[in-house]
Amino acid sequence: MSEKSKQMPLGGQPAVGADKTVIKALGLSGGIFGASPAQVDVKDGRVIRIRPLHWGEKYDYQKFNPWKIEKNGKTFGALPKSVPAPWSLAYKKRTYSPNRVKYPLKRVDWDPNGDRNTHNRGKSKYVRISWDEATDIIAAEIKRLHKDYGPLSILVQGDGHGECKMIHAPHGCSTLLLDKMGGFTQQVRNPDSWEGWYWGSKHVWGKGFIGMMAPADNVVKDICDHSDMVVMWGGDPETTHWGFRGQLASRLLYFWTEIGIKQIYICPDLNYSACIHADKWIPILPNTDAAMQLAIIYTWIIEGTYDKEYVATHTIGMDKIEDYVLGKVDGVAKTPKWASEKCGVPPWTIKALARDWAKKIVTIGHYFAGGMARGPFSHEPARLECVILGMQGLGKPGVHQAQVAYTGMPKNIIGAGKDHMGTFGRLEGTAAGERILKPHRGTPTAWGKQMIPKTLVEEAIRKGTVDFWGTGGHEEEAADQYVKYTYPIAKEEGGTEIRMMWTDTPCRQTCWNNGNEIALTSRDSQIEFILAQHPWLENDCLFADIILPVNTTLEVDDISPCIRDGDSFQSVLYMKKAIEPVGESKSDFEAVVEIAKKLGMEKEVTEGYSVDELIKATYEGMRFDEIVPWDEFNEKDYMVIPVAENWEEFPAGLYPFYIDPVKNPLPTPSGKLEFYSEGLAKAFPNDEERPPYPQWIEKSAIHDERISSRRANIFPLLVLSNHGRWRVHAQADDIPWSKEAFTGKVRGFDGYHYEPCWINTADAAARGIKHGDIVRVYNERGSVLCGALVFERVMPGAVSIDHGARTDFIIPGNLDRGGAINLITPEGLTSKHAAGQATTAFLVEVERVSMEQMDKWMREHPEAFEREYDPASGLKFNAWVEGGNK
Amino acid sequence: MGKKVFVIDLSICNGCYCCQFMCKDEHSGNDWSPIAKPQPEVGQFWVKLTERVRGTVPKVKVAYRPHLCMHCDKAACMAACPSGNIYKREDGLVVVDSVKCKGCRNCVDACNFDAIYFNEDLNISQKCTGCAHLLDNGWSEPRCVDACPTLAMKFMDEEDAKELIKDAEVWRPEIKDKTQPRVYYLNVPKKFIAGTLYDPVEEEVFIDAKCSLTDVDNGKKYAVVTDAYGDFWFEDLPDGKFKLEVKAGGKTKVFDEIDTTGNDVNLGDIPLA
Repeated sequence: MSEKSKQMPLGGQPAVGADKTVIKALGLSGGIFGASPAQVDVKDGRVIRIRPLHWGEKYDYQKFNPWKIEKNGKTFGALPKSVPAPWSLAYKKRTYSPNRVKYPLKRVDWDPNGDRNTHNRGKSKYVRISWDEATDIIAAEIKRLHKDYGPLSILVQGDGHGECKMIHAPHGCSTLLLDKMGGFTQQVRNPDSWEGWYWGSKHVWGKGFIGMMAPADNVVKDICDHSDMVVMWGGDPETTHWGFRGQLASRLLYFWTEIGIKQIYICPDLNYSACIHADKWIPILPNTDAAMQLAIIYTWIIEGTYDKEYVATHTIGMDKIEDYVLGKVDGVAKTPKWASEKCGVPPWTIKALARDWAKKIVTIGHYFAGGMARGPFSHEPARLECVILGMQGLGKPGVHQAQVAYTGMPKNIIGAGKDHMGTFGRLEGTAAGERILKPHRGTPTAWGKQMIPKTLVEEAIRKGTVDFWGTGGHEEEAADQYVKYTYPIAKEEGGTEIRMMWTDTPCRQTCWNNGNEIALTSRDSQIEFILAQHPWLENDCLFADIILPVNTTLEVDDISPCIRDGDSFQSVLYMKKAIEPVGESKSDFEAVVEIAKKLGMEKEVTEGYSVDELIKATYEGMRFDEIVPWDEFNEKDYMVIPVAENWEEFPAGLYPFYIDPVKNPLPTPSGKLEFYSEGLAKAFPNDEERPPYPQWIEKSAIHDERISSRRANIFPLLVLSNHGRWRVHAQADDIPWSKEAFTGKVRGFDGYHYEPCWINTADAAARGIKHGDIVRVYNERGSVLCGALVFERVMPGAVSIDHGARTDFIIPGNLDRGGAINLITPEGLTSKHAAGQATTAFLVEVERVSMEQMDKWMREHPEAFEREYDPASGLKFNAWVEGGNK
Repeated sequence: MGKKVFVIDLSICNGCYCCQFMCKDEHSGNDWSPIAKPQPEVGQFWVKLTERVRGTVPKVKVAYRPHLCMHCDKAACMAACPSGNIYKREDGLVVVDSVKCKGCRNCVDACNFDAIYFNEDLNISQKCTGCAHLLDNGWSEPRCVDACPTLAMKFMDEEDAKELIKDAEVWRPEIKDKTQPRVYYLNVPKKFIAGTLYDPVEEEVFIDAKCSLTDVDNGKKYAVVTDAYGDFWFEDLPDGKFKLEVKAGGKTKVFDEIDTTGNDVNLGDIPLA
């Protein structure tokens, strides 16, 4: 398994057949999180090819100081090429998707000067209007709303993942306008892949890196050097790394096998990493990880096999944990047998894992949370993980919490920044810095005058007011979670209920909690105007009143600093335009400028800068010109940040804390790992869902999603909902080539591509379900149709359905053909005081859909089955547009 | 130009489908005549990633394999083409002339590897060309290889690959001599027999328990001991019938007829009491 990288061309391949080649960052993490550089070959104004970038094509490769990690005579090192995910390389299919919004649209029965028919959102179709008409309407609405209710009556939904573009930011450009017109209400993006660590672990080890262990410098090398075993608990680097950084993690996991580091995977499904890298797969029922964690702790306590000295000097609250685990608090000892009944793992396997773990040097690996920390009460397994790591000497060489290859890779000569924003902080204070950074701030920070957590928008609309504890902004300190916020803010501060929603992130129905409720609440007459701007006619767009056509990264000039860990090198790309915009589309930024013009605000929005000037200002503002001068960058279209000569010298992870917790304390009130949180105890003395130390929570007033529930008599299966292998959240569901992968889509008897529902052979047989059948997945919150993938990659009792499939309602808010599983996720939050989403691990039943049933739906809802459908890519633009073929 | 071979290491194929996608990126919607006319957008695969789920919960693995034209030195398609429009290049690649092909389909049936597709719209046979149109214009390897993130797929000079392919296998080895393919696979997975031994009274696994396996057909014996999880794994087994004896805690259990012909075999958690 040796890597013959010597044989690989360092210089790259010629652009055969092309008249132009540009470079684009085709990761889908979005905005400032550039990743996955690729070369785009263009001929006669059409993209003919997208291929990996060979770093050495225009530079001397060796000058990048390629890193390598060696162990036992084996080597894992930088590759001379980027390794984008398959759908990054297939991105021309997105740009040329039959589902692109080609021109501005208005909902056919929405009349801003008459009847708004808000109850028809998601039902009525659209008609073509001009940019001029659209922006006239939008400007008039903004003026009216400002006059009648005040600026905060406009909710900006401008956050989340998307294409990697700095200037034409995929999200938040609307804030450039509204912030200068008196502000707006911000939808605050809650942590949506790492809920548990944010709402839980922050109270154990402090703020962390968005709640996960920090610092995490050099943990990759340290694991290679010192760990015996990596327990991959839930996350899937062969899936989630793809969207954020490409495929480098794959080689790291193979390297661990090569050098003898065992990999144990604990997850309900045999995920895409487990199926090729696992030395052992321990299937566990969704969201029962806390039970197994407690049984592991029990075994260690009973057998005295944990690091007592470390616990004494580095942690507080072990006495509380011990009393609880041994049953002194509630009379129930958290034995392996007790845990087994909850989690479905045999007691002998739990004991074997606990003992093997205690003997070895073990790191817990993740790639965001998988199923382990995204369900109800996810702060509990997340905090118990901190206890487990603490009991085995967290920070000791080889003992870490590792976001595999997302952090902890060899540092470059710039190094990482102080927090999630990294070196983007350098732009602050530069002349154009505010213009460049502002749109991106909505994703990681809470900065609106009035705020609603993304998980609570519907409740805010229905009830008119919501309270929440902590903004949910990614960079907040743990203590922010003790602060009570209220929407709306006081009237004298401009507080008002929202009346308009302006979204450039129209995917909440398929990515957030209780999507059916999101759909139905969008029809509330209180929301007088919904404006969407998006490249594709999909998901929440179909509930908007005006839709503006936005273009993709291939259609604009931009810049992308790909400066985060996770590829062989960090780089900066001058992303020149590959092709002319499709249809009448404009970039997200340009769309906002068009609206600003009608409001006399163009200068305020652009601040007088051209796009070219902003690109240069980004490059120089982040001081990349100190490495490669601007002119050279402009000529070569990319630059690579060399690896630091001394990268091996940075201490690994929490090693300084391990060595001396007094001199190098954690950012917690005590400076130690707080298994028991005094802060939580004081702020929420009666919180039974998130008590001061982590526990097993069977159910609560807001969640009843266990197999012990009476509901399980009707809905006996637990859904595991991961991030998609063939999508990034809602992105890229229309690539025809993905649908042809075995786990891509399932072609039903009606020729429609259904979202796969993984179901175990035994569960399928018990329900008369065969591979390829159309199935209805349902609970009280509604039904989604899927295609059955009957196989042994999921345990009995669980079904696995990736979130983010494109909605295709047969009955809006009730029955979906697209397989968007989040439509029927719990409405409840992570817990009462933790406004995260609980979008995995909930009860459903699955049944086979007969031809008769399908016929009945077709008769009752003919319009849903007449939508124009491309058998390769899915629903077309024409499906929702009157005269869309024109 | 030296003769080329594909060398594909299945032990590091992560199943990402980049090979299959990039083949379509290069060939769907692009016309590289005379080497290749456009590949249909969907339904046909000049490189096809196959996947096979091995075993049952919780002893499950997935085996991926990119399948493509084997570029045989004794290519049945060439022999079957009545008009001589399938040719062997100096570099060893077999190419269907996309302009001259008359659409008789004989090659589609003749191929031993199901690697040739018939394009109804164009009325021609189509398959992997090794991206010959790129190789002829400065590329060192085809698109599938360029996009492979783990370097599982390699396109090499046969001379340089000699050491690497010493122990390699070809697809359908039983007809290797007849076809002489130029695609080599390393680490082709065979079958496994696995299980877990535990004590149902103590609810403990048995570690270091002796497990002996006998190939019923030829008497060949295999021996392993259980690991820290009570698991035993016999890997790289041929298709056939086996007899297993496991011993732990003074108890013995025998499985007389284990058949690996269809799928890999997980015997589950085995109580020894």
